[in-house]
Amino acid sequence: MTRTRSLVTLLAAVAAAALLFWYVLHQVSGHWLDVALRPEVRQALERSMEDQKQLRRLDPSRREVYRQRFEETQTLLNRIEVLRMNREAMLHRFELALVLVFSLGALLAAVTIWMRYRRAQERERAEYLERVTSLQETARRHAHEIKGPLTAARLELERFSDLARRGASEQELGAAHDSVGEELERLARFTREFSSFGGMGSPLLRRESLGQLVEEFCTTFASAWPSLRLEDTGGDAVVCVDRDMFRQVLVNLCTNSARAVGEDGRMTFSIVKNGARVMLDARDNGSGIPHSLRARVFDPYVTTRRIGEGMGLGLSISRKVMLDHGGDLELVSSSAEGTVFRVTFGVGAC
Amino acid sequence: MVLALLLLALSARGQQRPSFTMNGGVLSASLPASVLQDASVRKQLASGLTTTFLLVVREGKNLSGARMEVRYDLWDEVWLVKRVEFDGKVDRQRVASPEALEKWWRTPARLLLTNADRVVLQVDLSVLPFSAAEEEDARQWITKSGGVGTATGGGGGIVDALIGTTISARPITSFRWNVDLALR
Repeated sequence: MTRTRSLVTLLAAVAAAALLFWYVLHQVSGHWLDVALRPEVRQALERSMEDQKQLRRLDPSRREVYRQRFEETQTLLNRIEVLRMNREAMLHRFELALVLVFSLGALLAAVTIWMRYRRAQERERAEYLERVTSLQETARRHAHEIKGPLTAARLELERFSDLARRGASEQELGAAHDSVGEELERLARFTREFSSFGGMGSPLLRRESLGQLVEEFCTTFASAWPSLRLEDTGGDAVVCVDRDMFRQVLVNLCTNSARAVGEDGRMTFSIVKNGARVMLDARDNGSGIPHSLRARVFDPYVTTRRIGEGMGLGLSISRKVMLDHGGDLELVSSSAEGTVFRVTFGVGAC
Repeated sequence: MVLALLLLALSARGQQRPSFTMNGGVLSASLPASVLQDASVRKQLASGLTTTFLLVVREGKNLSGARMEVRYDLWDEVWLVKRVEFDGKVDRQRVASPEALEKWWRTPARLLLTNADRVVLQVDLSVLPFSAAEEEDARQWITKSGGVGTATGGGGGIVDALIGTTISARPITSFRWNVDLALR
């Protein structure tokens, strides 16, 4: 791809130089030098001079006027004659200059291409390093997510065996059994999160009242995040949406916000209309997203959480959901006063 | 004092040769009329431009010479001639006929000061199609007062400069005579 672009650049430079060559050559040879070479121009000037001489004979009283005209014409004729005698040298000099310009242009193009090639190489290296670093981080998180429940389950299982050997009560055995089950459930949750990312289906779009969906969500999930109060500013619009998937988007947004806000956390939903386009702004009063993460906030595995507290897939899943809706999920702003995400819905019939 | 001179010339083109005279330690040369009769020279003499004859004499490391300028005034139909000799002496004349022009042409031009008994000279005559003043006038015209600049707009300056510096008078023809002169 880089080579193709470089070739195109080089061809464009050659074409531009050829056009420049043609243009300037045309300007020079196509005007004054060609005028100098046209015999009819010379003949016309000579006729004009002869006419002045004839007029002098016919009207001697205006002799000086005719003489002045004669000399002006002769001066022009002399200049043209001088140019004509130098035409070859002029064109030769001019072509030489153009060759120099052309060579300089080609050199500049070559240097530009080389620099672009070097930049592309450096960019490729940087991207590779970033990918590898990201994979390392992912591997660490995966290992931690699996290792924690596995270790706990193994220990609980050993305790269960020990209890069984010692003839423990059924209640004690049951508690150990449940503990193993809990750890296995943590593993199951972890794999479900991946399954939902990897096996996300297409949304089943239906016409729904967005106002009603938001209101239901605020009611149903009112106590889901103790630190977060959900607020619906009202308003309504009909949108094409898969209500389960959309609800998951709101859950993910709220989950993130709940970690960013203090004790008096708020998440405010506002419906915004712009022509046929319908949007839902989700605004929290949290501490904001670190500046360094804002550009990559929708990339998978990008998170501020510590290892073991989440995989950083929520926003990437949510954006994918809204893109599948024909809309989008964008980060509008983020500062110490809070963060605003905008959910955009697709336009058109379901 | 006029001395008969022996010419041992190795001349080119089979042209007639200059004749030399010595007077008061000054060597003068009378150029052959065949130069004026050369087809290219004759054509140039009628052009209205100033045909310039540059005469350069080399004697060993010494360099000397003279310059003749001939312009046909198309209005008055006379030749305006000028001769500049080695010491800067200038002679201007108006000559009305080809015969008078040839007579002026054959008038010896003072070339160099010498007191040697014998000189070996290389005499070069270059015929330039126009004078330095006409060259400068054409250059000024094309670079400043119109010329290409008008046609090319903003980029005309570079083009004008390129063209302007290219204009120069190149000889339309030249002659060379090698001369061995016994002066006494």
